[in-house]
Amino acid sequence: MRTLIWLALLPAAFATTPLIAQSSPAPAVSGKSQWWEPGDHGPLPAYIEYANPWGRLGIVNTSGAIATDGHPFFEAIGTNGRACVSCHQPGDGMSLALSSIVRRWDETHGKDPIFAAIDGMNCPNLPAADPASHSLLLERGLFRIALPWPPVDATGNAMTPEFTLEVVRDPTGCNTDRVYGIDGERHEVSVYRRPRPAANLRYVSSSRFGVTPFIGKTGQLATVDPDTGRPANMNMMADAREPTPKTQAQSAAHTHLQVSEPLTARQLEQIRTFELQLYAAQAFSTGAGALHEPGGPSGLGPQAMATGNDGVLGNNTTRFVFPMENKWADLPAGRDATERERNASRESVQRGHDVFFFRTFWISDAMHINTVGLGNPIKRTCATCHGMHMTGMDTANGWMDLGTTNHPWALEPAESPWAKKLPELPLFKVTCRADLPPHPFLGRVIYTQDPGRALISGKCEDVGAIVIQQFRGLAARAPYFSNGSAATLREIVDFYDRRFNIRYTEQEKDDLVNFLSVL
Amino acid sequence: MGTQRRRRYLLVLVASLGPAIAAPAPAAGERINFVSCPIVRDTRSVPCWLSEYQGDLYYLTIQSDVSATVQPPMLGHQVLVEGVVSAAAPICGGIVLEPVRLSVMPERDANCNTLLPADDRYTIDFNPRPPGPSAGRLAFATDPAPPPASSAPPSGPQTFNVYFDFDKGVSFRHPADLVAILGMATRLKATRLRVTGVRGAHRLSDGTLLRESEAIGQRRANEVAQLLAGAGLKISTTVDWTDGASQADGVDDWQSRRVTVVLEP
Repeated sequence: MRTLIWLALLPAAFATTPLIAQSSPAPAVSGKSQWWEPGDHGPLPAYIEYANPWGRLGIVNTSGAIATDGHPFFEAIGTNGRACVSCHQPGDGMSLALSSIVRRWDETHGKDPIFAAIDGMNCPNLPAADPASHSLLLERGLFRIALPWPPVDATGNAMTPEFTLEVVRDPTGCNTDRVYGIDGERHEVSVYRRPRPAANLRYVSSSRFGVTPFIGKTGQLATVDPDTGRPANMNMMADAREPTPKTQAQSAAHTHLQVSEPLTARQLEQIRTFELQLYAAQAFSTGAGALHEPGGPSGLGPQAMATGNDGVLGNNTTRFVFPMENKWADLPAGRDATERERNASRESVQRGHDVFFFRTFWISDAMHINTVGLGNPIKRTCATCHGMHMTGMDTANGWMDLGTTNHPWALEPAESPWAKKLPELPLFKVTCRADLPPHPFLGRVIYTQDPGRALISGKCEDVGAIVIQQFRGLAARAPYFSNGSAATLREIVDFYDRRFNIRYTEQEKDDLVNFLSVL
Repeated sequence: MGTQRRRRYLLVLVASLGPAIAAPAPAAGERINFVSCPIVRDTRSVPCWLSEYQGDLYYLTIQSDVSATVQPPMLGHQVLVEGVVSAAAPICGGIVLEPVRLSVMPERDANCNTLLPADDRYTIDFNPRPPGPSAGRLAFATDPAPPPASSAPPSGPQTFNVYFDFDKGVSFRHPADLVAILGMATRLKATRLRVTGVRGAHRLSDGTLLRESEAIGQRRANEVAQLLAGAGLKISTTVDWTDGASQADGVDDWQSRRVTVVLEP
């Protein structure tokens, strides 16, 4: 049983209870003790902080402390010993940091259920307990996602995709395997992705903005919530294949937990209720200090997440994506060295916010942003795409191709006799039908590590399009991007700088990194 | 067409006289239809979009937001321009086309890559949407219309025209159209749906007949019918398609790139 250091046990009526005290410097759970094992049975407090390299992450349960005993999110309800919490760790911002994965490997000698063969290995047919069999998980934090090929529609019938798929490079061996390969017995395609944070889902799944029966970026049918019959915002997963927390839970229980029976309606409702009242954000910064305090920026800290409005477009100067009200601009020098350093860090965060929000650059050749009536290129800012108030996601139907998985922008080591490191991810050749319009920027032949949304929609224009991630808790859950290709916050910034030829100054890069670290 | 032919002769004449004599600007009211590369000219605020045709530079639009009536084209692709020459003063150095209809050509064209830096000779005195965050509303959003005086239910067949980009199917342009059709179907208690796709054709200013791909009308009609059915409009449906080539005369030919939907009670 873990030793938990609870910072506070707050009443259920959180929304009316200030949480200022919890953001002051205080001991936090760290190291091995912050790992949640399935069936740990301790309560998840109403408020708790966890240490990370940038400070501390705060977790808020607005309904009060969560009794985890018997709770389907926390119990090993499948056949492989995993629970939902295995890959959605509170200390990792309800995702799973690479550092935690490596630590679990070392602590359990590879026996932790997160290393289960089904998806914790590069391919289930590889030798168990060999680190090489788990290299994508151990080096980049990636789980195998096996999807039907060809894609299936909502009724389970095979679709006719607009493109063919060939395996060009198969370092894991899975996509050419006689069982697991795309031409194998199971007719699967394997891609490798990071777990998404299971927190702040009130925002992530909100349908209050831009949701209609038809997808705003393509006009195609939106996925429907089976409980209500209403269209979903399709921001839940990297490829938008599941519309709601419940359907995601059911799917994940089947594919990741290997349950023998589908989750019951009661279990699904328990998971949904838990996830929709759960908020995660950085609470304390080693440089900038407390992130939620009287007179400070209103958009920082987990408390702000718990009380903010969902379904709001923030790419404007009335709501803002991450409201800071200029509170950390032009601060006094400080009375002593500690305060001077803190204020300097805060000013850097404020500058980083301003770079994010106001610094224009040319956004070009990005599918589902340059193709929705804005033109190619557009002179805009980060907040154009990352416009959802409080999360930095897109407001609805938020998949785009920024080049994180498609050539020529996706980074993998070149295959050459001189390379010290070989490519780790598979490479697919996508050939789009000649009788249909080509992908507007990549043509009819596309090379990709992960076709993304196209594996669900079957559309050529969706190749490599990935749903935008939320920005919260970044400090706790490296690496970044769906394929773990950015090991650090700096590498995120460097990717965009390279991709869009932004030419950030070193100061701008540092400020952006500091800004991202406090979200 | 006669005006355009006369102008071409004039251009040849002017060219033979040497560079000292500039070609006359096209006359206000003249229709101009052409396919060419778009050009981006940056300004201190938002970029302008231009295109060159037969030695004249035309202003197409500026960058704004998704509410703009005329949305910018795309570098990397040619653009089909269908417009009327305006008497307004040039913008960003380009002759203004008003109204103008733009359609991005689907095939890629690497030659369409001209992005000109900001030049203080070219300023724009209107700026509905800055390049950074907006002031909180869409640039061209209109105030909500007052509710109709009477809410008499619709009666009789109701017709909708849904317009498309050149050789393209359903896109980001169409959710609002499709939602409107669904709404009318409910109010009308529609029992029958007729969907007719049209293969568009365009008479360009140089006389060329530019036609969409042969199967596009059928593809559009099927796609619209399937989307409406998928969204719950499961009523008796007829799908048909036709060819709009014979109607192409250089006047608003963009209207031939369409699907016509008829709802019957």
